[in-house]
Amino acid sequence: MATAVEGEGAAVLASWSGQSVRVPDVLAALEDVRRSEPLPPTRTSVLTLVLLASEAEEGARAAAALHQLGGRHPARAITVCTEDGEPGLDAEVRLMGAEVSGTSLWFEDLCLTVRGPARHHLDSLLEPFTLAELPMVVWFVDRLPEPDDPLLRAADAVLVDARDLGETTCLATLAELTSSTVLLDLSWVRLRPWREQLAALFDGSDLRPFLHGVRSIEVSGKTGPGHLLAGWLSSRLGVERRFVHLREAEHAGVRIVAEHEGRTGHFEVARPGDERTVRASVSVEGGHSSNSLVVLPEASPAWGVAEALSHLGRDPVYEQSLAAAVSLAGLPHP
Amino acid sequence: MEPDNPLAAGLAGDRHAPPCVLVVFGASGDLTSRKLMPAVEQLAQRRLLSTSFAVVGVARTEWSDDDFRARMREAVKDAGPEWEHLTSRFRYVAGDYADSATFDTLATVLDELDAELGTAGSRVFYLATVPGVFAGVAKALGDGGLASPGADGGFARLVIEKPFGHDLESARQLDVDLHAVFAEEQIYRIDHYLGKETVQNLLALRFANAIFEPIWNRNYVDHVQITVAESVGVGHRGGFYETAGALRDIVQNHVMQVLALTAMEPPVTIDAQGIRDEKVKALRAIDVLTPDEVADHVVRGQYDAGWVEGEEVVGYRDEEGISDSSVTDTYVAMRLRVDNWRWAGVPFYVRTGKRLPKRLTEVAMQFREVPHLPFPAGLAQGLGANALVLRIQPDEGITLRFGAKVPGQAFEVRSVSMDFSYGAAFLEESPEAYERLLLDAMIGDPTLFIRSDEVEQAWKVCEPILAAFSDPSYPVARYEAGTWGPSAAEDLLERDGRKWRRP
Repeated sequence: MATAVEGEGAAVLASWSGQSVRVPDVLAALEDVRRSEPLPPTRTSVLTLVLLASEAEEGARAAAALHQLGGRHPARAITVCTEDGEPGLDAEVRLMGAEVSGTSLWFEDLCLTVRGPARHHLDSLLEPFTLAELPMVVWFVDRLPEPDDPLLRAADAVLVDARDLGETTCLATLAELTSSTVLLDLSWVRLRPWREQLAALFDGSDLRPFLHGVRSIEVSGKTGPGHLLAGWLSSRLGVERRFVHLREAEHAGVRIVAEHEGRTGHFEVARPGDERTVRASVSVEGGHSSNSLVVLPEASPAWGVAEALSHLGRDPVYEQSLAAAVSLAGLPHP
Repeated sequence: MEPDNPLAAGLAGDRHAPPCVLVVFGASGDLTSRKLMPAVEQLAQRRLLSTSFAVVGVARTEWSDDDFRARMREAVKDAGPEWEHLTSRFRYVAGDYADSATFDTLATVLDELDAELGTAGSRVFYLATVPGVFAGVAKALGDGGLASPGADGGFARLVIEKPFGHDLESARQLDVDLHAVFAEEQIYRIDHYLGKETVQNLLALRFANAIFEPIWNRNYVDHVQITVAESVGVGHRGGFYETAGALRDIVQNHVMQVLALTAMEPPVTIDAQGIRDEKVKALRAIDVLTPDEVADHVVRGQYDAGWVEGEEVVGYRDEEGISDSSVTDTYVAMRLRVDNWRWAGVPFYVRTGKRLPKRLTEVAMQFREVPHLPFPAGLAQGLGANALVLRIQPDEGITLRFGAKVPGQAFEVRSVSMDFSYGAAFLEESPEAYERLLLDAMIGDPTLFIRSDEVEQAWKVCEPILAAFSDPSYPVARYEAGTWGPSAAEDLLERDGRKWRRP
């Protein structure tokens, strides 16, 4: 059975669990745990977040990440694990409390383990648990959804992590999903500091023309994020595939060589070693050179999820980057 | 035309500072280390500064570049390695503001930074100094050729902090002095209240919701209460406070800005001109009191000894640097009229004071009573009029008070509060006021800064009250520290059949 791992920043105020239960039992338990608090503090209502995991362990890990959000936790988190075996539903309901800047908040946390045919109708199972008039985000923790997954129709947005895909072919699946789904990608979130630093390198009016004379782009990184970063640069700058070179590496990094009025400029953003910093530098022949250093945000999944959830709309820049990444990987477009 | 940066699409975009140098006058002072540098560090941490950014500190204190860097590093506790890296670019110019050599040195340093970083002559001059030197520094910047935008598409902006003058006349003179060097578009007057999220949220609440604006007028609003309360006393600022008082220190700027945002008409667009045009119209609609009216509409108060937040505190006249016979206002309560179509007949009650029970700022819209209560007498005793309260600080948020049935057999109704807490509803952390305003000044967005005509209009409202206060015989109502002000302030509302909220 799926179990939630208690994380930092939130405490269990009340709980209930049951095996082989029905949805109305769980709904009643939700009401009961809320009533168990004599004076419930502020209730946050941001969204319903569904964590979908094939493995209970993966689900628990993802749920723990959410608990670390403490008061920035969405209103209701539902962890769903699917198992083989006799049809049935096991459930655990917990009322969580957290304190943020002196304000007490509470939110509910559900863990559902689904067996039998209901595994293929999770949309109907989850619908009663969603909060009214609030968006529902489904986080596919350890797999990608099939294009015909009924949950995609119910979800306002789907959360994935391109870093965990492993194979470049999955990029095409993601690209296909963007045609009908709002896709939030934790890898894209983590790439943001790199993108910001790269964009900032061309802030100066004297450097901006170099963006139109890019001669080569070298991107290093893992399969998935590396492709996304390269796809972003090639799509934003309109650079042909032959000028873009990808290299497998632990951390992302970019080197751009560009020319303007006969001068060559070198633009680089790299992570020195395992330090959580990104160093950006520019040097132009016969011109100025400068560098800057920014600290990467904490690597925790909680941070990534919080950032990803802060904007639940389509991101055309991401979608274009993904499409370009598919091309760079030599895959047919979906 | 400068080509766009395609890599910036979808990122912070236009909310990202362009390459520029922040020049801070008064760099060795308290404001720089306590507010400005933490704000710069936060901007760096949020990656909102350009890679071509530097700070130049200017002050009389004889520091070297390294001294300045070390002090600014110390100023920000628990900063990351990026702060160390960023401060390594900081420069310092030691010199007297009255000496032209100081500005020659500054020009040389700025030229060096332009060549080194590609900042293209773009500078933000921040005057974190006493107001007395604003005009002199502005003139020296003009004489040194630093007030003009750089030739490569750069910009030169001047940021000053309140107080903007001591009264109407000195405010006008300050404008004349500044405008002799800088165009109005180059001048950014900071009232840090405008950088607060909840103050900006006033605009969102009013103009992004269909349910509030229709009742935001004399037909539904009984009166408005604006409270700016401080629990602290004057501390070591006694000397300054004796020349200012609560009216100049708080009402002329913070309160007038909050009142203007509350009372203004919807702007056509949420941009600098749209908002500031409407704010100034609202300020113009405030009925300026005649000398005869002041005594009936304004209460001047001063705190005596008492207990605040569990600690015994001395009275104002026993504070350091305060005379035994001081009549300076540490508390002001007033009734204002906003004479326009929307607000005619709706009093705006304003109060501000030091040594009140707690620190808070709020705007409370008190709605009219229902025309008829259909409940038996006695069953609606706990029911008050509806109120919408905007809490600006601390615990930023909104509270709506309305009537609800008490569970049980009887039909008893009483008031309940529905709270919206800013921190609990949004995943994003709100930027600090200075962080927001510094970034706006670098970007060139003057929306949250005060235009000269707003300053002038606010002084016009305060002028007759200042004139009355200058008469030593004008009553000074005493109040015990730790209370909500003098009884004369209670009387002010009681005469209208109302009473102050207890926030």
